[in-house]
Amino acid sequence: MLAAILVACFALMLVPTASAQTQIYVWQQNLPPNGVGRDYAGAHNHFYNELYFGPNAGWRSEVWEVTPAGYRHFDKNCVGNCFNSHPAYYFATAYCANRDGGSHFVNQCLDRW
Amino acid sequence: MRRRFVLFVAALVGALTAAGLLTQFGLGGSNRVQIGDGSISALKRAARAGDALPQSVLAYPFADRNFASPDGRGARVLSTYGSLTLYAVPGKSGMVCLIEVDSAAGTAGGACADRSVLKTGSIYMADRQEDGSLQVVGLVGDGHTFAEADGRRTAVENNSFLLPQVEGSDLTIGSPTATQEVDLGR
Repeated sequence: MLAAILVACFALMLVPTASAQTQIYVWQQNLPPNGVGRDYAGAHNHFYNELYFGPNAGWRSEVWEVTPAGYRHFDKNCVGNCFNSHPAYYFATAYCANRDGGSHFVNQCLDRW
Repeated sequence: MRRRFVLFVAALVGALTAAGLLTQFGLGGSNRVQIGDGSISALKRAARAGDALPQSVLAYPFADRNFASPDGRGARVLSTYGSLTLYAVPGKSGMVCLIEVDSAAGTAGGACADRSVLKTGSIYMADRQEDGSLQVVGLVGDGHTFAEADGRRTAVENNSFLLPQVEGSDLTIGSPTATQEVDLGR
Protein backbone atom coordinates (compact mmCIF):
# COMPACT_ATOMS: atom_id res chain seq x y z
CA MET A 1 0.00 0.00 0.00
CA LEU A 2 2.77 2.42 0.99
CA ALA A 3 4.65 1.57 -2.19
CA ALA A 4 1.56 2.35 -4.25
CA ILE A 5 1.18 5.73 -2.57
CA LEU A 6 4.86 6.52 -3.17
CA VAL A 7 4.54 5.56 -6.82
CA ALA A 8 1.43 7.74 -7.16
CA CYS A 9 3.20 10.71 -5.54
CA PHE A 10 6.19 10.25 -7.82
CA ALA A 11 3.90 10.14 -10.84
CA LEU A 12 2.23 13.39 -9.75
CA MET A 13 5.62 15.06 -9.49
CA LEU A 14 6.22 14.31 -13.15
CA VAL A 15 2.97 15.94 -14.28
CA PRO A 16 3.73 19.46 -15.53
CA THR A 17 1.82 22.19 -13.74
CA ALA A 18 -0.38 24.37 -15.91
CA SER A 19 0.23 28.01 -15.07
CA ALA A 20 -0.42 31.28 -16.86
CA GLN A 21 2.47 33.05 -18.51
CA THR A 22 2.60 36.84 -18.54
CA GLN A 23 4.62 38.75 -21.11
CA ILE A 24 5.18 42.51 -21.01
CA TYR A 25 5.84 43.29 -24.66
CA VAL A 26 5.96 47.09 -24.54
CA TRP A 27 7.74 48.62 -21.60
CA GLN A 28 7.83 52.37 -20.98
CA GLN A 29 8.28 53.78 -24.43
CA ASN A 30 6.70 56.41 -26.61
CA LEU A 31 4.39 55.20 -29.34
CA PRO A 32 3.94 57.63 -32.25
CA PRO A 33 0.54 58.26 -33.86
CA ASN A 34 -0.81 54.84 -34.83
CA GLY A 35 2.35 53.30 -33.40
CA VAL A 36 2.03 49.56 -32.83
CA GLY A 37 3.58 47.30 -30.21
CA ARG A 38 3.96 43.58 -30.92
CA ASP A 39 4.71 40.62 -28.71
CA TYR A 40 7.82 39.12 -30.25
CA ALA A 41 7.49 36.12 -27.94
CA GLY A 42 5.39 34.77 -30.80
CA ALA A 43 2.01 33.15 -31.10
CA HIS A 44 0.26 31.61 -28.10
CA ASN A 45 -3.27 30.81 -27.06
CA HIS A 46 -3.78 34.11 -25.28
CA PHE A 47 -6.65 34.83 -22.94
CA TYR A 48 -5.68 38.41 -21.99
CA ASN A 49 -4.27 41.50 -23.69
CA GLU A 50 -3.83 44.93 -22.11
CA LEU A 51 -2.52 48.39 -22.91
CA TYR A 52 -1.74 50.78 -20.05
CA PHE A 53 -0.73 54.34 -20.88
CA GLY A 54 -0.98 55.71 -17.36
CA PRO A 55 -3.44 57.55 -15.14
CA ASN A 56 -3.95 60.45 -17.53
CA ALA A 57 -5.12 58.52 -20.60
CA GLY A 58 -7.89 60.07 -22.65
CA TRP A 59 -7.27 59.12 -26.26
CA ARG A 60 -7.98 56.14 -28.49
CA SER A 61 -6.18 52.81 -28.17
CA GLU A 62 -6.44 49.29 -29.55
CA VAL A 63 -5.51 45.72 -28.59
CA TRP A 64 -5.85 42.72 -30.90
CA GLU A 65 -4.36 39.38 -31.96
CA VAL A 66 -3.31 37.94 -35.31
CA THR A 67 -2.96 34.26 -36.19
CA PRO A 68 0.03 33.02 -38.23
CA ALA A 69 -2.35 32.82 -41.21
CA GLY A 70 -3.05 36.55 -40.86
CA TYR A 71 -6.54 36.44 -39.35
CA ARG A 72 -7.34 39.15 -36.84
CA HIS A 73 -9.23 38.28 -33.66
CA PHE A 74 -10.27 39.80 -30.34
CA ASP A 75 -9.86 43.29 -31.75
CA LYS A 76 -10.95 45.92 -29.26
CA ASN A 77 -10.78 49.69 -29.71
CA CYS A 78 -10.98 51.76 -26.55
CA VAL A 79 -10.72 55.26 -25.21
CA GLY A 80 -7.84 55.30 -22.71
CA ASN A 81 -6.32 52.30 -20.96
CA CYS A 82 -7.74 49.09 -22.38
CA PHE A 83 -7.97 45.37 -21.71
CA ASN A 84 -9.59 42.41 -23.42
CA SER A 85 -10.10 39.09 -21.68
CA HIS A 86 -11.46 36.16 -23.69
CA PRO A 87 -11.34 32.39 -24.16
CA ALA A 88 -8.01 31.16 -25.52
CA TYR A 89 -9.51 30.14 -28.85
CA TYR A 90 -6.74 31.21 -31.20
CA PHE A 91 -3.01 30.56 -31.51
CA ALA A 92 -2.05 34.15 -32.24
CA THR A 93 0.35 37.04 -31.66
CA ALA A 94 -0.74 39.96 -29.47
CA TYR A 95 -0.58 43.61 -30.51
CA CYS A 96 -1.36 46.99 -28.95
CA ALA A 97 -1.52 50.44 -30.52
CA ASN A 98 -1.81 54.13 -29.77
CA ARG A 99 -4.63 55.28 -32.05
CA ASP A 100 -4.34 58.96 -31.27
CA GLY A 101 -3.02 61.63 -33.62
CA GLY A 102 -0.17 62.42 -31.24
CA SER A 103 2.62 60.41 -29.61
CA HIS A 104 1.95 58.98 -26.16
CA PHE A 105 4.02 57.30 -23.51
CA VAL A 106 2.97 53.69 -22.97
CA ASN A 107 3.70 52.33 -19.53
CA GLN A 108 3.23 48.80 -20.74
CA CYS A 109 1.38 46.40 -23.01
CA LEU A 110 1.10 42.88 -21.67
CA ASP A 111 -0.52 39.62 -22.62
CA ARG A 112 -1.21 36.31 -20.90
CA TRP A 113 -1.57 32.75 -22.09
CA MET B 1 8.12 104.72 -31.93
CA ARG B 2 6.27 104.04 -28.69
CA ARG B 3 2.94 104.62 -30.45
CA ARG B 4 3.88 102.02 -33.11
CA PHE B 5 4.73 99.51 -30.40
CA VAL B 6 1.39 100.07 -28.66
CA LEU B 7 -0.45 99.63 -31.95
CA PHE B 8 1.50 96.44 -32.65
CA VAL B 9 0.64 94.98 -29.23
CA ALA B 10 -3.03 95.96 -29.66
CA ALA B 11 -3.14 94.31 -33.08
CA LEU B 12 -1.47 91.18 -31.72
CA VAL B 13 -3.93 90.91 -28.82
CA GLY B 14 -6.82 91.44 -31.23
CA ALA B 15 -5.57 88.74 -33.60
CA LEU B 16 -5.06 86.23 -30.79
CA THR B 17 -8.51 86.95 -29.37
CA ALA B 18 -10.11 86.47 -32.79
CA ALA B 19 -8.21 83.21 -33.31
CA GLY B 20 -9.32 81.95 -29.91
CA LEU B 21 -12.96 82.78 -30.60
CA LEU B 22 -12.82 81.12 -34.01
CA THR B 23 -11.30 77.98 -32.51
CA GLN B 24 -13.90 77.73 -29.77
CA PHE B 25 -17.04 78.67 -31.64
CA GLY B 26 -16.20 78.33 -35.28
CA LEU B 27 -13.52 76.21 -36.90
CA GLY B 28 -12.97 73.84 -33.98
CA GLY B 29 -16.44 74.08 -32.54
CA SER B 30 -17.97 71.02 -34.17
CA ASN B 31 -15.68 68.66 -32.26
CA ARG B 32 -15.69 70.64 -29.07
CA VAL B 33 -19.35 70.79 -28.22
CA GLN B 34 -19.72 70.25 -24.51
CA ILE B 35 -22.62 68.41 -22.90
CA GLY B 36 -22.78 68.33 -19.11
CA ASP B 37 -19.81 68.58 -16.79
CA GLY B 38 -18.62 64.97 -16.78
CA SER B 39 -20.84 63.93 -13.88
CA ILE B 40 -22.19 60.36 -13.84
CA SER B 41 -25.42 60.01 -11.87
CA ALA B 42 -25.27 56.22 -12.09
CA LEU B 43 -22.17 56.24 -9.88
CA LYS B 44 -23.99 58.22 -7.19
CA ARG B 45 -26.97 55.92 -6.66
CA ALA B 46 -27.11 53.61 -3.63
CA ALA B 47 -25.27 50.31 -4.08
CA ARG B 48 -27.20 47.13 -4.85
CA ALA B 49 -26.23 43.50 -4.37
CA GLY B 50 -25.42 42.94 -8.04
CA ASP B 51 -23.11 45.94 -8.41
CA ALA B 52 -19.96 44.12 -7.32
CA LEU B 53 -17.56 43.32 -10.13
CA PRO B 54 -16.80 39.64 -10.80
CA GLN B 55 -13.72 38.40 -8.96
CA SER B 56 -12.18 37.40 -12.30
CA VAL B 57 -12.12 41.06 -13.39
CA LEU B 58 -10.65 42.22 -10.09
CA ALA B 59 -7.85 39.66 -10.46
CA TYR B 60 -6.50 41.25 -13.64
CA PRO B 61 -3.58 43.69 -13.43
CA PHE B 62 -5.86 46.22 -15.12
CA ALA B 63 -7.96 46.52 -11.94
CA ASP B 64 -5.01 47.26 -9.68
CA ARG B 65 -3.62 49.85 -12.06
CA ASN B 66 -6.82 51.68 -12.91
CA PHE B 67 -9.49 51.29 -10.26
CA ALA B 68 -9.60 53.76 -7.39
CA SER B 69 -9.97 50.80 -5.07
CA PRO B 70 -8.42 47.38 -5.78
CA ASP B 71 -11.71 45.70 -4.88
CA GLY B 72 -13.62 47.87 -7.35
CA ARG B 73 -15.47 49.68 -4.59
CA GLY B 74 -18.03 52.12 -5.93
CA ALA B 75 -18.76 50.08 -9.06
CA ARG B 76 -22.32 50.27 -10.37
CA VAL B 77 -24.17 48.21 -12.93
CA LEU B 78 -25.23 50.56 -15.72
CA SER B 79 -27.23 48.24 -17.93
CA THR B 80 -27.72 44.63 -18.96
CA TYR B 81 -28.28 43.31 -22.48
CA GLY B 82 -28.88 39.57 -22.35
CA SER B 83 -25.68 38.05 -20.96
CA LEU B 84 -23.76 41.34 -21.34
CA THR B 85 -23.46 43.60 -18.29
CA LEU B 86 -21.95 47.09 -18.31
CA TYR B 87 -20.40 48.60 -15.17
CA ALA B 88 -19.01 52.02 -14.30
CA VAL B 89 -16.10 52.03 -11.85
CA PRO B 90 -14.39 54.99 -10.16
CA GLY B 91 -10.81 55.16 -11.38
CA LYS B 92 -7.52 56.47 -10.06
CA SER B 93 -6.40 60.08 -10.53
CA GLY B 94 -9.66 61.40 -11.92
CA MET B 95 -10.25 58.50 -14.26
CA VAL B 96 -13.51 56.63 -14.68
CA CYS B 97 -13.84 53.16 -16.16
CA LEU B 98 -16.33 51.30 -18.30
CA ILE B 99 -16.25 47.53 -17.82
CA GLU B 100 -18.16 44.97 -19.88
CA VAL B 101 -18.68 41.35 -18.86
CA ASP B 102 -20.37 38.79 -21.10
CA SER B 103 -21.09 35.74 -18.99
CA ALA B 104 -22.20 33.60 -21.93
CA ALA B 105 -19.23 34.41 -24.16
CA GLY B 106 -16.74 34.20 -21.30
CA THR B 107 -15.33 37.62 -22.20
CA ALA B 108 -14.60 40.81 -20.32
CA GLY B 109 -13.16 44.14 -21.34
CA GLY B 110 -12.49 47.55 -19.94
CA ALA B 111 -11.56 51.10 -20.79
CA CYS B 112 -10.43 53.72 -18.28
CA ALA B 113 -9.91 57.35 -19.20
CA ASP B 114 -9.78 60.79 -17.71
CA ARG B 115 -13.26 61.91 -16.70
CA SER B 116 -12.90 65.11 -18.76
CA VAL B 117 -13.40 62.96 -21.88
CA LEU B 118 -17.09 62.76 -20.94
CA LYS B 119 -17.61 66.48 -21.51
CA THR B 120 -16.93 66.26 -25.22
CA GLY B 121 -17.43 62.58 -25.99
CA SER B 122 -17.70 59.07 -24.64
CA ILE B 123 -15.49 56.46 -23.01
CA TYR B 124 -16.30 53.58 -25.30
CA MET B 125 -15.17 50.15 -26.44
CA ALA B 126 -15.69 48.97 -30.02
CA ASP B 127 -15.24 45.25 -30.60
CA ARG B 128 -14.75 43.99 -34.13
CA GLN B 129 -17.15 41.12 -34.82
CA GLU B 130 -16.49 38.15 -37.08
CA ASP B 131 -18.58 39.80 -39.84
CA GLY B 132 -16.42 42.95 -39.72
CA SER B 133 -19.00 45.13 -37.96
CA LEU B 134 -18.39 46.74 -34.57
CA GLN B 135 -20.25 46.27 -31.34
CA VAL B 136 -19.93 49.57 -29.49
CA VAL B 137 -20.64 50.08 -25.80
CA GLY B 138 -20.20 53.50 -24.27
CA LEU B 139 -20.22 55.47 -21.05
CA VAL B 140 -21.50 59.04 -21.29
CA GLY B 141 -21.90 61.86 -18.81
CA ASP B 142 -25.18 63.26 -17.51
CA GLY B 143 -27.18 65.15 -20.12
CA HIS B 144 -26.63 62.69 -22.96
CA THR B 145 -29.86 61.09 -24.07
CA PHE B 146 -29.01 59.14 -27.23
CA ALA B 147 -26.31 57.46 -29.31
CA GLU B 148 -26.62 56.93 -33.03
CA ALA B 149 -24.70 55.09 -35.75
CA ASP B 150 -25.57 54.06 -39.31
CA GLY B 151 -28.83 55.97 -38.93
CA ARG B 152 -29.91 53.85 -35.97
CA ARG B 153 -30.53 55.64 -32.70
CA THR B 154 -30.60 54.12 -29.22
CA ALA B 155 -31.48 55.72 -25.92
CA VAL B 156 -28.86 56.29 -23.23
CA GLU B 157 -29.76 54.31 -20.12
CA ASN B 158 -28.03 55.01 -16.83
CA ASN B 159 -25.19 56.83 -18.60
CA SER B 160 -24.57 53.94 -21.01
CA PHE B 161 -25.50 52.69 -24.45
CA LEU B 162 -25.03 49.69 -26.73
CA LEU B 163 -24.87 49.92 -30.52
CA PRO B 164 -24.54 46.49 -32.20
CA GLN B 165 -23.44 45.86 -35.78
CA VAL B 166 -22.01 49.29 -36.54
CA GLU B 167 -20.61 49.50 -40.08
CA GLY B 168 -19.63 53.17 -40.10
CA SER B 169 -16.51 54.89 -38.83
CA ASP B 170 -18.14 57.19 -36.32
CA LEU B 171 -21.14 57.65 -34.10
CA THR B 172 -23.13 60.56 -32.78
CA ILE B 173 -24.04 61.10 -29.17
CA GLY B 174 -26.17 63.93 -27.94
CA SER B 175 -28.77 65.66 -25.85
CA PRO B 176 -32.04 67.29 -26.96
CA THR B 177 -30.08 70.46 -27.78
CA ALA B 178 -26.57 69.41 -28.87
CA THR B 179 -24.67 66.63 -30.60
CA GLN B 180 -21.09 65.33 -30.52
CA GLU B 181 -19.25 63.25 -33.12
CA VAL B 182 -17.19 60.30 -31.88
CA ASP B 183 -14.49 58.84 -34.14
CA LEU B 184 -14.35 55.03 -34.02
CA GLY B 185 -11.05 55.03 -35.88
CA ARG B 186 -11.74 52.62 -38.73
